[in-house]
Amino acid sequence: MPTYKAPLDDMRFVLHDVLDVAQLSALPGYEEATPDLIDAILEEAGRFCAEVLQPLNQPGDAAGCTYEQGEVKAPPGFKEAYQQYCAGGWPALTADPKYGGQGMPHLMRSVVEEMMCASNLSFAMYPGLAHGAYHAMHTHGTEELKDKLLPKLVSGQWGGTMCLTEPHAGTDLGIITTKAVPAGDGAYRLTGTKIFISAGEHDLTENIIHLVLAKLPDAPGGTRGISMFMVPKFLPTDEGRPGTRNGVTCGSIEHKMGIKGNATCVLNFDNATGWMVGDANKGMRAMFTMMNGARLGVGLQGLGLGEVAYQNAVAYARERLQGRSLTGAKNPGGPADPIIEHPAVRQGLLRVKALNEGNRAFAYWIGMHIDLEHRHPDPARRAESADLVALMTPVIKAFLTDTGFESTNIALQTFGGHGYVREYGMEQFVRDARIAPIYEGTNAVQAMDLVGRKLPEGMGRLLRRFFHPVSAEVEASRADPALAEFVEPLAKAFERLQQATQGVAMRSMANPDEAGAAAEDYLHLLGYVTLGYMWLRMVKAARARLAAGADDRAAFYEAKVATGRFYFAKVLPQVHALAARIAAGATTVMSVPVDAF
Amino acid sequence: MNIARAAVIGSGVMGSGIAAQLANAGIPVVLLDIVPPGAADRSILARGAIERMLTVEPLALMHKSFAARVTPGNVDDDLALVADADWIIEAVLEDLEVKRALYAKLEAVRKPGSVVSSNTSTIPLSLLTREMPASFAADFCITHFFNPPRYMRLLEVVAGPATRAEALDAVRRCGDVQLGKGVVDCKDTPGFIANRIGTLWMECAVTEAFRLGLTVEEADAVCGKPMGIPRTGVFGLFDLVGIDLMPHVSRSMLATLPADDAYRGVRVEQPVIAAMIAEGRTGRKGKGGFYRVAKTDAGRVREAMDLVTGAYRPARDAKLASLAAARKDLRALVTHPDRGGQYAWRVLSQVLHYATSLVPAIADTIVQVDDAMKLGYGWERGPFELVDQLGAGWLAAALAREGRTVPPLLAAAADRTFYRVDGGALQFLGTDGTYRDVPRPDGVLLLADVKRRGAPVAKNPSAALWDIGDGVLCLEFTSKMNALDQFSIEMLARAVGTIGDGTGAHSALVIYNEGPNFSVGANLGGVLLAANTAAWKTIDALGAAGQQALTSLKYAPFPVVAAPHGMAFGGGCEVLLHSSAIVAHAELQAGLVETSVGLIPGWGGCKELLLRGFRKHGDDLIKVIGGAFQAIGQARSSRSAAQARDLLVLGDGDTITMNRDRLLADAKARAVAMRPGYRPPEATALRLPGAMARDLMVAQVEAMVATGKATPHDVVVAAELAGVLSGGATDPSRALSDDDMFNLERAAFGRLIRTPATIARIEHMLATGKPLRN
Repeated sequence: MPTYKAPLDDMRFVLHDVLDVAQLSALPGYEEATPDLIDAILEEAGRFCAEVLQPLNQPGDAAGCTYEQGEVKAPPGFKEAYQQYCAGGWPALTADPKYGGQGMPHLMRSVVEEMMCASNLSFAMYPGLAHGAYHAMHTHGTEELKDKLLPKLVSGQWGGTMCLTEPHAGTDLGIITTKAVPAGDGAYRLTGTKIFISAGEHDLTENIIHLVLAKLPDAPGGTRGISMFMVPKFLPTDEGRPGTRNGVTCGSIEHKMGIKGNATCVLNFDNATGWMVGDANKGMRAMFTMMNGARLGVGLQGLGLGEVAYQNAVAYARERLQGRSLTGAKNPGGPADPIIEHPAVRQGLLRVKALNEGNRAFAYWIGMHIDLEHRHPDPARRAESADLVALMTPVIKAFLTDTGFESTNIALQTFGGHGYVREYGMEQFVRDARIAPIYEGTNAVQAMDLVGRKLPEGMGRLLRRFFHPVSAEVEASRADPALAEFVEPLAKAFERLQQATQGVAMRSMANPDEAGAAAEDYLHLLGYVTLGYMWLRMVKAARARLAAGADDRAAFYEAKVATGRFYFAKVLPQVHALAARIAAGATTVMSVPVDAF
Repeated sequence: MNIARAAVIGSGVMGSGIAAQLANAGIPVVLLDIVPPGAADRSILARGAIERMLTVEPLALMHKSFAARVTPGNVDDDLALVADADWIIEAVLEDLEVKRALYAKLEAVRKPGSVVSSNTSTIPLSLLTREMPASFAADFCITHFFNPPRYMRLLEVVAGPATRAEALDAVRRCGDVQLGKGVVDCKDTPGFIANRIGTLWMECAVTEAFRLGLTVEEADAVCGKPMGIPRTGVFGLFDLVGIDLMPHVSRSMLATLPADDAYRGVRVEQPVIAAMIAEGRTGRKGKGGFYRVAKTDAGRVREAMDLVTGAYRPARDAKLASLAAARKDLRALVTHPDRGGQYAWRVLSQVLHYATSLVPAIADTIVQVDDAMKLGYGWERGPFELVDQLGAGWLAAALAREGRTVPPLLAAAADRTFYRVDGGALQFLGTDGTYRDVPRPDGVLLLADVKRRGAPVAKNPSAALWDIGDGVLCLEFTSKMNALDQFSIEMLARAVGTIGDGTGAHSALVIYNEGPNFSVGANLGGVLLAANTAAWKTIDALGAAGQQALTSLKYAPFPVVAAPHGMAFGGGCEVLLHSSAIVAHAELQAGLVETSVGLIPGWGGCKELLLRGFRKHGDDLIKVIGGAFQAIGQARSSRSAAQARDLLVLGDGDTITMNRDRLLADAKARAVAMRPGYRPPEATALRLPGAMARDLMVAQVEAMVATGKATPHDVVVAAELAGVLSGGATDPSRALSDDDMFNLERAAFGRLIRTPATIARIEHMLATGKPLRN
């Protein structure tokens, strides 16, 4: 049975030594978010995830959700765990104090989310979607709706969903057909079918708030004619209790490859009562508030699964005795050496370790900029952070889920045949991780968002928020010759990225297929360079701690430097292949006739 | 006969505009008007007109010093002044008796052989010369200018049966070469060519818009870009020329047009428009027109008038499926079933029917008709070119289907086109049904013609190289707005390399193009993308490549003549500064405007402006360096080639060509003339004062910050500029080379492009087209 222990040392290292999270407590409203309190929250979250959520993960996968006459039951134990989750105040962690929240920085939610996804992704998705609904309502809802509903979401009493996809409309939301007709009393009546609705129906909460995209009768065609509606499972009474059952029912649940403990539902809306959230025909904008947050959350799923898979693979590689080391026995007293002594196994584990730790720094860095975007007193700084977050949202989503899936695979491989059987739980991580590159906008869509929208915006204005800090970091670090082995590979990779950016921008103007054909490679190129930037900062932070006399913690910081060294030597060079593929352009892709396939 | 002196009688809008253009051409001109009753200054009208030439936009004079070329007077006291004039232009009231009385007086004082012409737009020549002495009729013609005469290129010339060929040639030649006009010979028919067709088009476009219920925005969107007509469309054009003009023009057209003329059926009196005129809502000069700019709480809002109610509402972009279809081709527009398509068909079919039925009645050739509409109304394509776009056979069939007559010329074209390219030559269909070459006057060389004849010597995405004969190559910029990028630079270097030592097939280079602008400067979007991605090396490399290319241009062993027109800003201006000579179109807008985007000239602009300063002012360092500091620091640009001389962009040896069509031939002739014994300039050796001069200049700008005349980033930019212009860490004992100056420029450029305030300026310029004051 797999285990999980929150990597608190690694988390604290990123938060304190690399990102200096203490600066958040200088922002208005975050005064209480001191490093001490942050550490205490991490401790407690780590304990909850390891002791409550993780033990339910494998059984939850085996049992799955059950559907009976419109009612859906989450796997055994989920409901009790959810009650503990609410009792611990976790749904309120970063919510607005006005509605009962604790008002902690958004960054804290990212950290806790990583732990929850690592320990039990299926479970984590229930409150994750509720939080998304909270966020969208908080930003776009009327005061009346907010007063009524937000306290329920913040306390965790009620759940939430986002309902976008329809049987014929996935990536292309412009063609949805769910209708919303004004009821005359300010409410609307919704009719239509939504599919693939995560947490669409379950028994964890007494009520569920669905945020639904639909079209008004006179709506223009395409995405400019979509509005967002709040449709509760039970219509709230004046006292705020679940009242009459609304016309939304679960038709069935999907049987799927992974995340089996989370209910993926077909929802039928039949004259269901709803209220508009945001402006008429501006639903995509409102939904994007939710989706951008959700995309960062999905990225954390990749990271969390990569981390838990790594922890179990390392434990196995230390214990599993098989063959002798190529350079002589390392365990002469035993029948064989632990497989961690073999270069192939090490290399795989180091790759996963370097990606996990780099991805974590990347995700928390952007998480911190979400807080800066919303809370910094200087509007110019807010705008800069907003640009960086907008640029990196598709990268976090796609890069962290692609590398997260890769990591679970490498970790499974460490187990050999034992990885392929259920007992060790490794195959569940792979199956669970496989959804992340698909939902919330496939990774190809993320890449097009990056190359087609984020890159050209303001002739690279969003890029500036990343390229300038990297350029400055490289230039500053070059002053220290001891950093050369880290800086120079990054400088070279960065140059590749600069060239690829110019090339893609120029070629795309003449031919949009060039953008499409370069998009995923470009996203990965940007991802690897970003991790290089994060690793340079991590190496410098670790070296600073070592120089200051880290004493009993020296091994930890030395391991950081060593992992960074591995990243620059063995992972980052992938950028050169990516750059070559990007430079090759679209011709070889698009010139092949369809009949040739 | 040569026109050395001229006189204009009548100092109204047209008369004073014509006088100003004569002055612009360097021709001394007497401007006379009547004596207003009781005026203390009896020449007050002419004097006031000269004043307005310098102040009223768009400015009539190309340089303020040219006002001295206009001598004001009045017809009562000063008529004798016209005795010196070779050409006397009458631009008085459109009243036959007033004109004839004036002619009688002129006949008494003008010198023998002088030409008299009328700027009438409505009165037939036959009426003007009736009962006048034979000597007058022999020297008389109509020269019809368009408003404003400096900027509108059409000059319609109408000769009478008695007009001397020599007199006519003198006027044509002066109009073409000296005044820069496109001279089109017209027959003595009402409205001549441009207004005959133009007024029908305007009336028709208004009538049909009312009939089909289009908004003014929709009508202007259809009657604009898709037809190659200026963005103002029809209602916007009425606002521009004055809506109250409509009834006057209509009355005079109706009075003189043939009884069966199509115009008579087109015009419909619109009560809404009559009300507008009555209320003084006559367009831009009045209290608004079909459009107006309203000041509201939210700022200035452009509004449009509802054609049904006459009330104003915020203007909105026209959204019609037919407009989207028009992107495909013109036929897709006129066959589209929506109201935009119906409108396009009704307007265009009537206009083209009219135009094709008027040749040879109003002009000998279709070329003259097309030229008149292009030069006089700013159409990109004349009526016969529009017919070719639709297909003559298709149009004839469509007209016939609707039961309309098919004009003989259109029927004769059958399935042929009115224009074709044969053996590399542009040809037109004559009224006899055969094709002949489109004539080009002597001294006109068009790159468009060169391109029809064959392939370029070299070509890349942003530039091309053409052989224009006599051993001369022409470098053409081809990018959007002719912004300069790495490809433009590569082609500059390639041009120099191709000509080599000048002893081979080619021995001179002309830099010229036929886009709207010579070059708006370096591609700012590309620079911004590079800056945003911290691609400092790329930026520096582009700087170095530009410097290298322009150096090779400057020191080439053969003459390089730049022939700029329109805008030549920033890098485009630096190309001029490194050429052996400049032959500029008179309407050149040039300047080193980099500081408006927080940069300084990086391709040798600072260096070359200093060199020109030393040539002009000797060793007067304050004038040389201070002058360059002001010109570049304030991002000054010229609004004419004459002003560009003040900015030292043009030097004493550089010449100005008035007629846009003659620019290439003039530049080529200049290059050929420079070729024998050509020696490139000597290597640069600049002795500059160093840091102290720099500090003085910076202190000036710092002082301006205190008074709000300069911004904090102006100081940063000015400090870099002053550093370059004063030679960096130098002193007068050292001679700075081209490379020394290039290094200073590039280093300063590299520092500025890294500042957020400069990036903000570039972003703002790209987003709004206006400089950011930060």
